[in-house]
Amino acid sequence: DTLSDCAPRRSASQAMPRGLGRRARTRDVFSRPFRQKGFINLTTYLREYRIGDYVDIKVNGAIHKGMPHKCYQGKTGVVWNVTRRAIGVEVTKIHREKQLRKRIHVRVEHVQPSRCRDNFLARRASNDKAKQEAKASGTKISTKRPVAGQPRVGFELVPSSEVETLTAVPYDIAATVK
Amino acid sequence: MVFGKVVKNKAYFKRYQVKYKRRRDGKTDYRQRLKLTRQDKNKYSSPKYRLVVRFTNKDIVCQIMYATITGDKCICAAYAHELPKYGLKVGLTNYAAAYCTGLLVARRALKKLGLDEIYEGCTEPDGEDFHVEEVEGEKRPFRCLLDVGLRATNRGGRVWGALKGACDGGLDIPHNEKRYPGYDPDEKALDPEDHARYIFGQNVAEYMALLEEDDPEMLKKHFAGYCKEGLGSDDLEDLYAEVHEKIREDPSHTKKEKKVPANPKKWKAVKLTYEQRKAALKERLAAVAAMAEE
Repeated sequence: DTLSDCAPRRSASQAMPRGLGRRARTRDVFSRPFRQKGFINLTTYLREYRIGDYVDIKVNGAIHKGMPHKCYQGKTGVVWNVTRRAIGVEVTKIHREKQLRKRIHVRVEHVQPSRCRDNFLARRASNDKAKQEAKASGTKISTKRPVAGQPRVGFELVPSSEVETLTAVPYDIAATVK
Repeated sequence: MVFGKVVKNKAYFKRYQVKYKRRRDGKTDYRQRLKLTRQDKNKYSSPKYRLVVRFTNKDIVCQIMYATITGDKCICAAYAHELPKYGLKVGLTNYAAAYCTGLLVARRALKKLGLDEIYEGCTEPDGEDFHVEEVEGEKRPFRCLLDVGLRATNRGGRVWGALKGACDGGLDIPHNEKRYPGYDPDEKALDPEDHARYIFGQNVAEYMALLEEDDPEMLKKHFAGYCKEGLGSDDLEDLYAEVHEKIREDPSHTKKEKKVPANPKKWKAVKLTYEQRKAALKERLAAVAAMAEE
């Protein structure tokens, strides 16, 4: 799967080509952050993943087994399989004009639970609650988010005649303490 | 005076990465901990229980714990300092006491989980290697892994006493007889009688008997507690057998009432409130203004 993972990296005319191994050009991507080398905290291993969860792929260079290819670094996917030590993640990979659905297996050290759904789930919960309350009180509400482009409430443009110019006053501690 | 390069300079500290807190304290071996707590992902959140055995200078701690992201949880614990309740008042850190503590934690846990009737364990310890057998049609035995911490796993250690106590108590702990006292590495076999000697404190009793004969002064010095309780070298075997019985009878834990003082002492300096600090500042400003006027 190594060569089909990415677009062709070298042309036939190059005399001394750059390498294109699986881990080529990963010197920085796969390196551990400053002062975070060494043993991995156990939270990583204690997390529970279920099929249908969203996970971010973030390679941990200290663990060599079950490493995804560098092109998946930073991608978010859905868990489609759970094995003993690894998670099967389905990631969308864009190749030229098409989107490929790729199913890869990745050890848990290279995976973090994604928060991409947090915003939506919180909004959905608050919307459901608002709808329930509206139903109980008989009022009508719209839970739609405002469309982008319309100015947000409180940010309307103001004519310059109504603008009040403020300047800073030198700090006087006695006045503030009073 | 020797001129040398300062190793611990600013750059050194800027780049220094500390080890984990518990590693710095020398209390946890993280590689071992990982192996003990790591659960298969396809077993999701099933806890992996471990029997934690720790020795202090005067106490033995046996806990059954499992790891969660918020911290380890203890489902059951037994301490050697509880053994006086079961009739054992001296020798609380020897092999026999470790056996009793292990037995206590096992019976307590099984009672808590409702398995104590099904899995009696080995009611008459004879030092033989005992593995709990699954009972058909009933719940499976409670499985946990032994966590020795940073102890060296040498033959004859008290850790194995606690392990043996727990196994005889009915817990399913995978183990090997190789490390029990009484195992002969040349023969590659365990001598159950030799092991039973340790379980019933005969290693202590034999030394006591020796002192009783040869050096009664030394006996009073080394076995002061035993003498006070009126225990002789012959009494130990029966004593430990009694303790085992009492543990099996009632392994439950009695909670001690915590005394809450009416006015708890405050050791930390109490911080001034915002109002107090503002008032203090006002005073200082007034003082400065007064000085400026003079």
